[in-house]
Amino acid sequence: MMLLFILGPILWMLDSSFQGESELLTRPSHVLPQEPTVANFAYIFTGAIPQGLNVRGTLRSRISQEAREIPAALMNSAIIALAVALVNVAFGALAAYTFARIKFRGKSLVFNFLLGSRLLPAIAVAIPYYAIVSALGLLDSYVGLILVYLTFSLPFTIWFLRDYIMSLPIDIEEAAQIDGCGRLQLFRRIVIPLAAPGLAAAGAFAFMSSYNEFLFALLLTQTINSQTLPVVLSSVATNPDASLALIATSVVLAMGPPLIFAIAFQRFLTRGLVAALGKG
Amino acid sequence: MLSIETLVEGVTTGRVSRRGFLQGAVALGLSASGAVALLEACTSGTQGTSAADLTFVVWSYGVETIKDNIKKLEAKVSGLHVNFQDFAWTNYHDTMVARFAAKTPTDVCYGSDHWLSEWAAAGWLSPLEQKYPNLNAYTSDYFPYVIQGMTYQGKNYGIPYYADTWAFLYNEDHLKKAGISQPPTTWAELTQQSLQVKAKGIANYPVILLFAQDDPGSIEVWTSMVFSLNDGHLFDDSLNPLFDRSGSAAAKTIDWVASALNTSKILDPASLTSQEIPVVKAMESGAHTFTILETYNQAELNKSGSGPFSGKFKMAPMPGDTHNTVGYVRFYAVTDQLSKRDASVIKFGDDFLQYFGGKPDGAISPVVKRWAVENGLGFGWKSLWDDADVRKAFSTWGNPDMLRQNQQLARSKEGLTKYYPSWDVFTRAELQKAYLKQVSTTTALTAMADKWKSLKQG
Amino acid sequence: MLQSGAGESRRPASRRQRVGGRESGYAYLTLLPVLLIMAAFSLYPIGYSIYLSLHKEVLTDPLNHPFVGFQNFSNALHSYYLTSSLVSTGAFMVMAVPAVMVFGLLAALLLNEAFAGARILRVAILLPWAMPAVVSGIVWRWMLNGDYGILNSALFQLGIIHDYIPWLSQPALARMGLALAHVWREGPLAAIFLLAGLQTIPSDLYSAAAVDGAGRVAAFRRITLPLLRPTIVIVLIYETIVAATTFDLVYVMTGGGPADATSLISWYAYAEVFKFLDLGTGAALAFLIALLLLGVILLYLRVLRSDEHR
Repeated sequence: MMLLFILGPILWMLDSSFQGESELLTRPSHVLPQEPTVANFAYIFTGAIPQGLNVRGTLRSRISQEAREIPAALMNSAIIALAVALVNVAFGALAAYTFARIKFRGKSLVFNFLLGSRLLPAIAVAIPYYAIVSALGLLDSYVGLILVYLTFSLPFTIWFLRDYIMSLPIDIEEAAQIDGCGRLQLFRRIVIPLAAPGLAAAGAFAFMSSYNEFLFALLLTQTINSQTLPVVLSSVATNPDASLALIATSVVLAMGPPLIFAIAFQRFLTRGLVAALGKG
Repeated sequence: MLSIETLVEGVTTGRVSRRGFLQGAVALGLSASGAVALLEACTSGTQGTSAADLTFVVWSYGVETIKDNIKKLEAKVSGLHVNFQDFAWTNYHDTMVARFAAKTPTDVCYGSDHWLSEWAAAGWLSPLEQKYPNLNAYTSDYFPYVIQGMTYQGKNYGIPYYADTWAFLYNEDHLKKAGISQPPTTWAELTQQSLQVKAKGIANYPVILLFAQDDPGSIEVWTSMVFSLNDGHLFDDSLNPLFDRSGSAAAKTIDWVASALNTSKILDPASLTSQEIPVVKAMESGAHTFTILETYNQAELNKSGSGPFSGKFKMAPMPGDTHNTVGYVRFYAVTDQLSKRDASVIKFGDDFLQYFGGKPDGAISPVVKRWAVENGLGFGWKSLWDDADVRKAFSTWGNPDMLRQNQQLARSKEGLTKYYPSWDVFTRAELQKAYLKQVSTTTALTAMADKWKSLKQG
Repeated sequence: MLQSGAGESRRPASRRQRVGGRESGYAYLTLLPVLLIMAAFSLYPIGYSIYLSLHKEVLTDPLNHPFVGFQNFSNALHSYYLTSSLVSTGAFMVMAVPAVMVFGLLAALLLNEAFAGARILRVAILLPWAMPAVVSGIVWRWMLNGDYGILNSALFQLGIIHDYIPWLSQPALARMGLALAHVWREGPLAAIFLLAGLQTIPSDLYSAAAVDGAGRVAAFRRITLPLLRPTIVIVLIYETIVAATTFDLVYVMTGGGPADATSLISWYAYAEVFKFLDLGTGAALAFLIALLLLGVILLYLRVLRSDEHR
């Protein structure tokens, strides 16, 4: 039952993307396509306009150029999310280790500052973020979005990894220190391998939340140069001039990468979470 | 060589197996995205636009026709290249606001009379007289409501893409089956006929209206209903609200809708979330009898193959006392950005505007005529009504005399100022609350008036 | 930065063990990139937001930005838009948050059991959360459609309803539809968190309870719930914030309608900027929302702390 609830919508989208426009409008709905067609996929990748009344509807062509931007948007999303994840793992882990193991003045103040900044709802900082990014000349660019997403993801990554690292046995590190290992070497040679599952989980989490982010992608991007998938997809899907079949096709294409990613990283996520929560 | 075309062709003719198709598609997909990434890196984000490109932004109606028109123009004018983008009509206003605010390159864009004042006041559009004074010469051939819709502070800001009216359409077959010989001439008659249709089981909800909160057409539908009554005004000449007075035409309209929705149940509740296309599709399928739509949708409804009732949709004057309705203009606007570009680009802009909406080569633009003949879109040019091709095309789906009559009964929306768009968005929500009887008609109208006054004060 | 690290490792061991000043240098160095980004994107936005909220900033009046003191705040507070969006948000949260928690808990309990297909479910459950929220909105909007939605189709064919229901056209039903899409997407994350929490409870406790003759329900109440409480609280806070700031779903599913029934607080703030073009009031409103959320969180934390002391 639960499986149906969860997977149902996904399968229905897949199903719909192979149906033509008029088939999609039947009452009651056709569960299996009776006249399957790949015309919509063809349109997105090649621009070949769907022919035939049964696929496109009558006078209005019911296509939008925006649907053709989906593959490019996928690429944008992937690149941005990957960059965010990498920076999170690299610098976030370093910072997390510092918080976990090192005593220094102002530690709790800095930590609380980092965490507290996450409490602000996104909409509260939307305009100022827009102003900063615009002033830096980074509107409609990868770097602008990456910076903004870093501010969202770093606090969580640091908090998560700090707990994770604190849960690791400290004896190995102490032993290495006695052996004359420097902090950074320690970090690189010992902590990173030990904390690998946690790092993978944090990276995966950062990737997913950046990939799926919508509001700021909407505000800070203007053209397909940097528009991410959620933005293009929502634009196509809320366009009444886009045929339903085209929308379904776009959704299916959009679902692809996250599905693959989730399946690949599922194990790390659960394991990482258990470790962090268990000691938290 | 492997390409998408051969793959698709292969599958559709059965030559390539499904497995082969999948493999090929994956390979192509990967290489395509790889190619895209490479291209992106090489062009470092300039998307292949060169300095002399004209960026043209529209909402997504008839995209393939527009692309074809662009192709013809580019063949005609050497060196001209149009960078074409389209966005959803329901989001168009917000998208353009964001675009203008971020100064994303935009040279020519569609505009609607809803938003002209707002965009001109913000400095985003440039009046024609600045760089294209020769295009101002055509206004003598425009209908009054067209000129009104494109004027701000006495200056003309556009050339018409198309101009049309809101029409009362009905399904003739339904009426025949219900034993009704003439369409309704008053709103009371509409209620009565709807009840008859409903009683006979012909349609569960005989009336459907385009009242979706996100469709800019919804305010036009309501306004046309107001205009059709005596004293059908929303504002007086000094732009003070008239609609919040008791017994106003606006109040009567809201009361009618609320009662149709809640009491007599002749109005489909889905109207509140139905944009234009869902309404058209619902009418095509025969689910409803009466509606108010843009005139060109009569062409869409009557097109062969549209559904079981193709050819049976007729137009009648807007029910009510005066039978006035709303006339609107959607136009090509010149952005402030374009007006600041080089002389060569401005010349291209002139070629573009003339071709798409002016008089290239002396006769009215072929694009305008094409929209009229192929899609049934109305036009702002008075003289085009005498064109034989246009009349012939119109008579295949409608009655040209009725169309002409509707044009003459059409008035421009009232209150078109720089705060109209804000008031519009606010009002759409208020109207829905009143229709649903969440608030009383008076409360809603008072709120609308208060909002107007506070916006006017600035 | 790597250079300084390498330099440090060359220093003699005795110096490095000193706690305090020297460590602070290293610490701040490693934190530098992070702090730079965070500072730039927290301090400046707050400052600029304050500036915006105290001036008149309307896009259609580009040359006129007088200082208006607290008028924007007053506008935001007195607009009856604010009350209605608070009500809408409240109504939505009352439906969405408990639903997510219940779904998460049930799913977590289910997944904790070992049974055929558990592994598939464990992978599948993450899928809705892995996708952008807008996908959830789009898919559910389609499925809830009053003319050709598959939900209507299924209910109709099962004989539960006699006519297709336009779910998103009626205020109350539209909120439910929104909540449904929200649960579909957020539930899995709650489930995963709670599952992780469940898995930290040692199974010996359950065996001991079984030996003592305690039934499943009793075991749940006495063992599971108390030990799971910290996790539940974390998830609850997170889900509350997410529900309160829902924007993506509103954007694609309802656009705030019908009759503003789904104009949640974030949507209102967005509309203030993009539809009413009033950045001053938008900024003021954003501050108010932030304060409100902060208040809610502090409330939660206070409840949590008082619980712990009990």
